Amino acid sequence: MAENDDLAPMITGCKKGAPECFSQLVDIYASRLFGYFYRLTGDNEVSDDLLSELFVKLVEKISSFKGGSFDGWLFKIASNIFYDYLRGKQRQKKLLEAQKKQLESNKQKAQQSDNDRIDKLQIQLKKLDVDTRELIMLRFYSQVSFKEIAKMRSEPIGTTLSKLHRGLKKLRELMN
Amino acid sequence: MNGPNEENLKELFERFLNSKQARRAVEDVQKAEQILREHPAPKPDKELIADIKVKIARALPRRKVNAFRRIAYKIAAVAAALILITAISVKLFEKSSGESGKKIATTSTMPEIIWESDDTAANDANLATLTAEVEQIESEILALQLGENNGNGYKAVTELEMELIEINSDFWKG
Repeated sequence: MAENDDLAPMITGCKKGAPECFSQLVDIYASRLFGYFYRLTGDNEVSDDLLSELFVKLVEKISSFKGGSFDGWLFKIASNIFYDYLRGKQRQKKLLEAQKKQLESNKQKAQQSDNDRIDKLQIQLKKLDVDTRELIMLRFYSQVSFKEIAKMRSEPIGTTLSKLHRGLKKLRELMN
Repeated sequence: MNGPNEENLKELFERFLNSKQARRAVEDVQKAEQILREHPAPKPDKELIADIKVKIARALPRRKVNAFRRIAYKIAAVAAALILITAISVKLFEKSSGESGKKIATTSTMPEIIWESDDTAANDANLATLTAEVEQIESEILALQLGENNGNGYKAVTELEMELIEINSDFWKG
């Protein structure tokens, strides 16, 4: 998790429109954000698109970052992008088709040991509802505190804890 | 990905669960997160990262134009609001001036019934009759005051007053 103090000069540079500062942020966050999108959509291409959309949005919105947890702020944008994506009817249809294809190809790939483990998780994740899946991925990839996650989701911390606990427990059962 | 944050999970869960349940919940969370760590998601392609950086470089000048546009829109909106407020103020001022003029007119001595009537000829005739009768009464009162009615002054004044009241009430009835 990047510390806000380390990020401060980069964020200031981004606000001034320095491309090299944006490049640094891309290098720091691209993997985690891609993982977040990939685990939610199960689709490489869609994850590529969403990641690109996120960074372009970052350029537009960086001036509205007024302090606090940058990771929380960035993942909030990512979460909004993911839900916007889900809301798009066409995209949703595409997602369902992609998921179907993914499941079929995953079954075939399930024989291979290394990939098997990755795909198994992806298959089991699809069995969770979108909200729980998003919460688990937000917690895992954003690495922000529960307090921050509860704030991002505009819900009491007890609700967030309970949903995450139930979701992770179910995921564990599915994986076993 | 180690230790997402420095939160004390047990302490957090103990706010809602008893100690034993909280310990079990923490274990559940840690074990499930261990599964996630053991199954890393794929990494983004280098081409994708390069492409994103190009997109950012393209988006930066656009952001400057957009920022300029936003400022221009704000200035235009403020100017429009000022013009609107000024126009409304002027209109209100004119209206209030007009209303005070109207008040003066309504307090004039002209009876409202005549002022609002469309029958000008009839009203003029009524006014002429009233004026003539008032003048006649005036002259009779003057004569009485001068002692011209042979000592029957009190009764004559009362009769005149009655007549005046009658005329007046007839007039206002139309």
